[in-house]
Amino acid sequence: MTTAKIVPRRRSRLLRSEWAWAYLLIAPTIIGLCILNIYPFFNSIWLSLQKMQGLTPAKYIGIKNYQTLFADKLVMQATWNTLYFMLLTVPVGVFLALIMATLLNNNIRGRDIYRGIYFLPLVVAPAAIAMVWRWMFNAENGIINQFLGLFGIAGPNWLSDPNTALVSCAIITIWSSIGYDLVLLLAGLQSIPQNYYEACEIDGAGPLRKFFHITVPLVSPTLFFVTVLRVMSAIKVFDVIYMLIKDSNPAFNKGVSLMVLFYREAFVKFNKGYASAIVMWSFVIIGVLTAIQFIAEKKLVNYD
Amino acid sequence: MKKLLSVLLALMLFLPAMQVAFADAPVTITFAFWDTNQEPGMRAIADAYTAKHPNVTVETQVTPWTEYWTKLEAAAMGGELPDVMWMHANQITKYAEAGALLDLNDLNYDYSPYPEGVTSLYVMNDVHYAIPKDYDTIALAYNKEIFDAAGVPYPDDTWDWAKLREVSIKLTNKDKGIYGFGVANTDQSGYHNFIYQNGGFVIKDGVAGYDQAATQEAIQFYADLYLKDGVSPSPESFTDMSADDQFCAGKLAMLYVGSWMMSSYTQNEMINGKFDLAVLPKGKVRASIYNGLGYAGAANTKNPAVVKDFLAFCGTEEANILQAKAKAAIPAYKGTEHYFSDQFNFNIKCYSDMIEYGVQSPFSPRKSLWYDAQTEMMTSILSGQATVADACNALQATITEAEAG
Repeated sequence: MTTAKIVPRRRSRLLRSEWAWAYLLIAPTIIGLCILNIYPFFNSIWLSLQKMQGLTPAKYIGIKNYQTLFADKLVMQATWNTLYFMLLTVPVGVFLALIMATLLNNNIRGRDIYRGIYFLPLVVAPAAIAMVWRWMFNAENGIINQFLGLFGIAGPNWLSDPNTALVSCAIITIWSSIGYDLVLLLAGLQSIPQNYYEACEIDGAGPLRKFFHITVPLVSPTLFFVTVLRVMSAIKVFDVIYMLIKDSNPAFNKGVSLMVLFYREAFVKFNKGYASAIVMWSFVIIGVLTAIQFIAEKKLVNYD
Repeated sequence: MKKLLSVLLALMLFLPAMQVAFADAPVTITFAFWDTNQEPGMRAIADAYTAKHPNVTVETQVTPWTEYWTKLEAAAMGGELPDVMWMHANQITKYAEAGALLDLNDLNYDYSPYPEGVTSLYVMNDVHYAIPKDYDTIALAYNKEIFDAAGVPYPDDTWDWAKLREVSIKLTNKDKGIYGFGVANTDQSGYHNFIYQNGGFVIKDGVAGYDQAATQEAIQFYADLYLKDGVSPSPESFTDMSADDQFCAGKLAMLYVGSWMMSSYTQNEMINGKFDLAVLPKGKVRASIYNGLGYAGAANTKNPAVVKDFLAFCGTEEANILQAKAKAAIPAYKGTEHYFSDQFNFNIKCYSDMIEYGVQSPFSPRKSLWYDAQTEMMTSILSGQATVADACNALQATITEAEAG
């Protein structure tokens, strides 16, 4: 009888202390999230409704920033540049990463060494990457044009020709992010059971067939995750464009991205209100693109 | 254990007493600036001050130019400005208006040793906000080897625009990859000089001068050197390798260069000893864009007395000589310029000679709002996408709108 009384009390105290521990342990992350992500987000929305110039106090002006934004040709050009950049980097980058992950999935010798090499660009500082690639893309002395010259091809002005400036930045971005996508996709590939492939081989399927009918559908959850991440980071591109395409570059208009424009408005012109409006506009773009991807997920991604 | 604790606590009571025993409590002040080339000079001034006031430590903080103002603005908004900082004519209005800078009027400082133009840059509403530090002007740098190879006499003070153009064309040899003159998209060390030499102006009291015939004519001359005469590498080429780098690599015969570049030019083995300077060729009048930096203090510094004392020291003849001897920049203190030019065995004194007809680098409090449009104007002209008239008139409209507010 006494045991029957003690057990419920001990269990409820245990349960309550478990809840307490749970809240305590996630508290640091939640507090960090609120202070560093959620509060600044709502603050940005509020700032985008103000006129904030330099060190003068902010003044509420409603949606005027947004009216200026949609009439601003440079912002619209930057939007198009950013979307074009996304179209350049995401399909090519993710596809290349998938191919490489599939190749690395076989137990070839030195597989871990290759994985390490492909992952290396991620540990290098973006500034260093930009500086080295800048010299490689140098129209006169760069290694790329000298290599093309060996075949008699006159290489373009990679970084100063409006047609190739964004392509150059896309190449650098794909190069530096393949490692990350590769590691994620490799993990996804390794969760595919081998017996699917064996069954396929018995039916006489070649490698291409295996790839498109087994690998791709079964790795589609990871593929979806990687694509969503890549799209977001493509819209947010800043480092490589800021460092390689400056104001005085003839290709500036065709190369500037939304985040570079945000930086210039916020920290060069000190127009914090207008800059916040640009950020909100990028948020809307990312939101729409992510929503499209989630709708596509329903139709294309297999969760077995 | 308890006894040990009580003994320790008792000893701690003596600490404040020991603190008071020191005549001046140790003070550390932060000193922020850009330009690593000038760091030895600033360090020398800081060390000389500490030698006189051993209790003061001056901590120097160098931030590259491109990040300096971003960092300073963030610091200003957070109330965490460095105690002492370099101030620039383009930015003084913003910081002074916001009350971020220390009022130096009660120093009763004597500003007569400095060029009037530089001192007045840092006076707003009759309040002095900075002690003049240096000034810089623009001169014509030329590659002696290229001139010798072509048998052309060096530039001198008789040159004018026509002569500049004539010699540039003569020296351009595209087969060898040598160009006569660098037509770069730079304002202070580039086309602004031409504008003022032609009697035009960029901006005065908030009114822009890009619609003036004199201004547009000057820009036309500048751009035509590249567009019609072909004496300059293309803007694409300058994107890949800057005009200064190309001059140092021996690809340009002539370039307009600011005095602040002299430190890095002379450290560059490829060009050191192979170039010399001349005063700028004259247009309708003589002109060279000048600017001067100042030492300013933060209004909310915790050590205003020490900061003011340090600022005053920075302005003394001794500090200016230290600055000059470290090849930092042309010191503002009249009579000490030769300490700077003596360091170099070429005609660097022409920079100081030009301050006589120097034109203050055009600025307005709202300059940052239209500065990119000005760069864009020159980009579109040099790429052939717009005529000088169209681009300048469009810029005029942009500046007028930005200045209005």
